[in-house]
Amino acid sequence: MISERRRSPRQVLARLHSRHVLHAYLFIAPVIVLFGIFRVAPSIQTLLYSFYKVELLRGRFTFIGLENFYSLLTDEIFRKATVNTLTYVTTIVPISAFLGLILAVLFNAKFHLKEFFKAVYFSPMVTSTVAAAMVWWWMYNPQFGIFNVLLKLVGVPEQPWLMSSHMALPSIIIFSVWKNLGYNMIIYLAGLQAIPQQFYEAATIDGAGALRRFRHITIPLLAPTTTFLLIYDTILALQVFDQVFVLTGGGPAGSTNVVVLDLYRQAFERYNFGYAAAEAMVLFLFIMAVTILQYYYSKRYEVAY
Amino acid sequence: MTRGSKMLAISLAILFLIPAIAVAGAAKTVTLWYPAGDITAGAAHFADKTLFTDFESKYNVKVEAVALDYDTMQQKIFAAAAGKNIADILFVDDSWMPGFLKEEMLEPVADAKAKAWLDAVSPEIKELSDYGKGRMWGYVQYGIDVYGLTWNKDQFREVGLDPEKPPKTWDEFREYAKKLVKRDAQGNITRVGYAIRHVGQPHGIVHKHFWAIYGAGAALVDDHRTLRGGKTLINTPGGKAALQLVLDMLDVDKSTSLNFPDPRAAFLRGIASMQISETVSIRARQPKEAPDLKWGMALPPVPKAGDKPATNLGGWLYTVPKLAKNKAQAWQLIEWLNSPEKDFELCKKYNASPRYKVNWEKEPFKSDPYDQGLKQLYPYGIKLPINLGFNGIMEATGNAIQKVWHHEASVDAALAEAERLANKSIADATK
Amino acid sequence: MVRSILVPVGRLSLYLVVGAVAALMILPFYWMLITAVMPAPDILAFPPKWIPTRLTLEHFVAAFAKAPWLTYYWNSFVVAVGSVSCSLLFGLFAGYAFAIYRFPLQNFFFLLILGTLMVPVQVTSVALYIQLSKIGWVDTFLGILAPNFASAFGVFMLRQGIKQIPVDVIEAARMDGAGEMRIVLTIIAPLIKTTLATVAMILFLGSWNDFLWPVIIINSSDLRTLPVGIALFKDPYGNINYGPLMAATLISTAPMLVAYVISQKYMIRGIALTGLKG
Repeated sequence: MISERRRSPRQVLARLHSRHVLHAYLFIAPVIVLFGIFRVAPSIQTLLYSFYKVELLRGRFTFIGLENFYSLLTDEIFRKATVNTLTYVTTIVPISAFLGLILAVLFNAKFHLKEFFKAVYFSPMVTSTVAAAMVWWWMYNPQFGIFNVLLKLVGVPEQPWLMSSHMALPSIIIFSVWKNLGYNMIIYLAGLQAIPQQFYEAATIDGAGALRRFRHITIPLLAPTTTFLLIYDTILALQVFDQVFVLTGGGPAGSTNVVVLDLYRQAFERYNFGYAAAEAMVLFLFIMAVTILQYYYSKRYEVAY
Repeated sequence: MTRGSKMLAISLAILFLIPAIAVAGAAKTVTLWYPAGDITAGAAHFADKTLFTDFESKYNVKVEAVALDYDTMQQKIFAAAAGKNIADILFVDDSWMPGFLKEEMLEPVADAKAKAWLDAVSPEIKELSDYGKGRMWGYVQYGIDVYGLTWNKDQFREVGLDPEKPPKTWDEFREYAKKLVKRDAQGNITRVGYAIRHVGQPHGIVHKHFWAIYGAGAALVDDHRTLRGGKTLINTPGGKAALQLVLDMLDVDKSTSLNFPDPRAAFLRGIASMQISETVSIRARQPKEAPDLKWGMALPPVPKAGDKPATNLGGWLYTVPKLAKNKAQAWQLIEWLNSPEKDFELCKKYNASPRYKVNWEKEPFKSDPYDQGLKQLYPYGIKLPINLGFNGIMEATGNAIQKVWHHEASVDAALAEAERLANKSIADATK
Repeated sequence: MVRSILVPVGRLSLYLVVGAVAALMILPFYWMLITAVMPAPDILAFPPKWIPTRLTLEHFVAAFAKAPWLTYYWNSFVVAVGSVSCSLLFGLFAGYAFAIYRFPLQNFFFLLILGTLMVPVQVTSVALYIQLSKIGWVDTFLGILAPNFASAFGVFMLRQGIKQIPVDVIEAARMDGAGEMRIVLTIIAPLIKTTLATVAMILFLGSWNDFLWPVIIINSSDLRTLPVGIALFKDPYGNINYGPLMAATLISTAPMLVAYVISQKYMIRGIALTGLKG
């Protein structure tokens, strides 16, 4: 062993690398193999289905090229689902991030019972989306639900909530904001706490007021956190399913139909598996586009301090 | 290899071997899938653990009835069929049948048995069982759904209406609703004359307005018994009249409102005087939820005197998938469960209407006012279409109804669009 | 600590805002709780009762009579523990490899792992089901675990955590003659304890609340996990059985809530450090 220390750093490194390629493959093997069998293979298979007319139960696969995708373009239900999904995403992501930021700033201060409140805000995250959605579904009931009761008590007219094609999607968005609020807050809080105090102190000495400090120090230095949150939230929001499934099932009149839900119904109620796979492919491309965006943005905003 | 890695390898190996070990020899087990919860009263008997004991001892077979989540049940059935790992008996909603038939998933009932059944059961059961030319794809469960008009007798009396005389024509219907609606001091409606279902699954919306659509001479599709082809007859004067009826009740009569979207619940709570939906549901829930409610049941009203009433029939079926592993035992179980004796026993126990003609002659069914009342409704019951484009037709129609009553589209525009989408769905399904 | 923008706002308004929002956050939980313990007629009473007139356990009795909750708990627990331990173990090694080694196709494999996040489970469920039925894993614990033996997040986060470890530590260990496996298990793992614990908590949470895959793969009632058990209480447009439904929901969420309350400080700090959720 002593002899190795006398080699040049370059040679040591080279030896290190060559010896470890085998280890590398061994170590990543379980993950790669298990994913490969149980996640990658089914995904590729399904995405391939998008180019076929799939009659799974008869075992018949007819290659139809891009026909599924052409049909998608003219499918107004899918178009509506895409619009709904994008509406959902572009609404919930900024709102959640914004509210999370405000709350994080609030919680950055010291006050009694801070930890208790923090725990309360985070608590919706530990419940399963399905269970929580069921409670909310009950609360949204226009005849007996608590929301309308509260409105009535303060003299505001009762709302149809999930029953109206105009209010259903906003109602779902409200639920999702409730569910994810704590998470956004916590992430921002971590980001805030990572900002060194010196910056604030220097700014205060220079005479900058609270709002200016916020605008010129906090926000820019939170940029990586913001980017991460926006992108991560977007990817998850694009795949929203559980709460829509439980709260409205896509109605009324398709006003809350989202891509994953439409895909699900095409596959399991119409048995159009190839078509559903095409929808999945479109979604996949969307998500990939967003992820690539993140990659470039994050490279741009890497701040070292 | 380090010791750690060896341990890891061994434990992994054991983990993978467990399923192999678990495959032990067992007595034949027939599995049956049914929806959990209170989705349908017809599944209530599955909760009884002793239900199958006689069958099990007689045929030396184990029966395993498994409750599935209704919402994901179709997905489950599809995945199981695709994986060739499906239950032996599927207890399914008849509106799922078009999809199953399209995928050729089910085994038909043997011709001789089918004929025997169709001859022995009452006409409405025959209507639901027959899928064309005496073909049966499953046995219809007792306690079928028939939609009927139900009304609150006390509230009728309260406004001076004869509690034993339901409205027979659409004009009477509107008049009655106008008398029955109640408002508070601010003018908000606290009780509707007639509760409408206008939200939720489009299928449900269509189901609950079926009586008006068909009563007025329109139809969802021209031939109910064919799987492929045909066209919708929703965009016709009849269809328009059907939608206009409720629209007028909302806007002109102001005898109903959009705030009572669960008609059955509203009826049971006493905030809706009339509603039209599954009678079996009211029958089952009223004793528990509204013990003091006195209600009547009759055919839905018709556009004008002399027209033929229409109502819908629906039910659940015991089916055997083609890929079932124990088909012989499955059919044995279904036949045992649906024999005349069992029909009598279970219908008596669970307060449901029987299927066999002979059982209708027996007490308590013969004198039971509810069952006899149903007999008035059955002849006018129409089974839903089995067209493969069924889902699309229902969605298009349900959405149109909803848009019109939500004042988001005119009757003409909504029905024109519904017609287009429904016909497209029918055409797509034939590809 | 610098109070930044809070000085002008004032403490009272702070408490007011925070308290009001907290009340809103908690409202659903409160509602779930009282619906579960209110007598049935009260649930539909109008105006609804904020404070129940009397408490009843009838819904819990009904819920327990309808379903074997203890079995569900046990199943959820077994699945969660199995999934989390495998994910941690495999993720640890994979994360180490991605963090420390340089090897051909490294980026490809890493992106492959991340790519699994981009395809929702609804898409792969049928193909996976077919695959599993061919090897007899349908309606088994292994079947439930199949897509969850490893976690892309686990790999990503552990890689992140391991990257922070100074290379000298590893070099030193190697110089001392330790095998790579020994290094990972005895040196690296203890150094990233926090990350491991956090990833464990998040994955546990995710597994506990997972619904869609278990509902497809599970047939037998004695294999059901909690979310699947709850789903069977649903009846959207038929009976209004809110009492037992809320009781069932409460039964299934209570343990997580309790565990959360006990460990929330740790949990939150950990998640904040790694930026993850389940």
